[in-house]
Amino acid sequence: MKGSSIDRVYVGNLNIAARRARDLLLGKLKLGEIVDWATTFSLWPVHLLTSCCGAEFAATWSPRFDAEQYGALPWVGPRQTNFIVIEGTVTRKMACALRITYEQMPNPKFVIAMGACALDGGLFYNSYNIVRPWEVVPVDIYIPGCPPPPEALARAILELRKKIREKNIASKWLIEGWRNDRDYVSPKEDVCRWWRP
Amino acid sequence: MVEALSLDNIINSIKLNLEGLVKSISISKGYIEVVVDASHIVEAALKLKSMGYDHVKSITAIDYPKESKIRVVYHASSYINEDLAKTIIGLTADIPRDNPVIDSLSQVWRSVEFQEREVYEFFGVIFREHPDLRPLLVIPELAEKKVLRKDFIVKEESIYEGIPHKY
Ligand code: SF4
Repeated sequence: MKGSSIDRVYVGNLNIAARRARDLLLGKLKLGEIVDWATTFSLWPVHLLTSCCGAEFAATWSPRFDAEQYGALPWVGPRQTNFIVIEGTVTRKMACALRITYEQMPNPKFVIAMGACALDGGLFYNSYNIVRPWEVVPVDIYIPGCPPPPEALARAILELRKKIREKNIASKWLIEGWRNDRDYVSPKEDVCRWWRP
Repeated sequence: MVEALSLDNIINSIKLNLEGLVKSISISKGYIEVVVDASHIVEAALKLKSMGYDHVKSITAIDYPKESKIRVVYHASSYINEDLAKTIIGLTADIPRDNPVIDSLSQVWRSVEFQEREVYEFFGVIFREHPDLRPLLVIPELAEKKVLRKDFIVKEESIYEGIPHKY
């Protein structure tokens, strides 16, 4: 199946799903590929609203743009989700919540940084009270814009799915136990102020 | 029928009620600025409350580094009295910049409690007899720097600095 035109299709399709399930049952497909395929269709973002980009995040799941068609469903608990959308500015207090939420999610997990603020501070680039999200958690996809339109977020989800499928990130992560294709990011600052006595 | 209070009547009654406490009083549109001595601020607030000013909308502080003073402003207004609701009182007191201590009004208006915490974290103004004077929005290390004072220098940096080079 690998390399065929079917692999280039990243939207839900009942025929493809049925064919893949058949191939798995007949032993034609590796289990790892099924894991990658399943992960791309169950990217559930956790409700972690950091800033005003959250309005666009909400619009992305509204009926007009309907990001649920990509299998992404915003969910409440970090333990049941595998995906964070950082919606804009991350203040110093929120950085702690962001890191804790990220740590609570099960592997494999992915992060999209949304908006100019999440890229490099945006409007608040020289503020005393913000952190750069990429210093706190490892980010997979960046979306520029202030705010990025819902289409951009939908596109980012598709790009993330493409990345997972093409690099087999999810299955390798499960087999090897950690993520090899990028460095581990741990905050250099004491975001939760737990280091001090 | 109760006669509607005009702005002049309100100002007259403020002058009457706060006699001996008011340093100066000035008006622009619906905003009445009442400057009192910092040691009399609780007394003045109690009198304003008995007039019908039942809540505080916001608290702020203004830093005057050249005059070496900080001006604390309480914006009080009314929900119950319709005529007073058209005005906002700016209850104002000046305190020295190097020793910014003022009496807390949290016993008078309950809504000032967390707003005083904000003024505390941003300007370092210490409110005496405040029940729980902790920083509200920023972490304590930042609160020590008194970030909204004029002598706090915001780091100017290029927006292109520090982009992660790997990704
Ligand atoms: S990028 Fe713009 S819209 Fe998004 S959080 Fe920052 S200021 Fe708000």
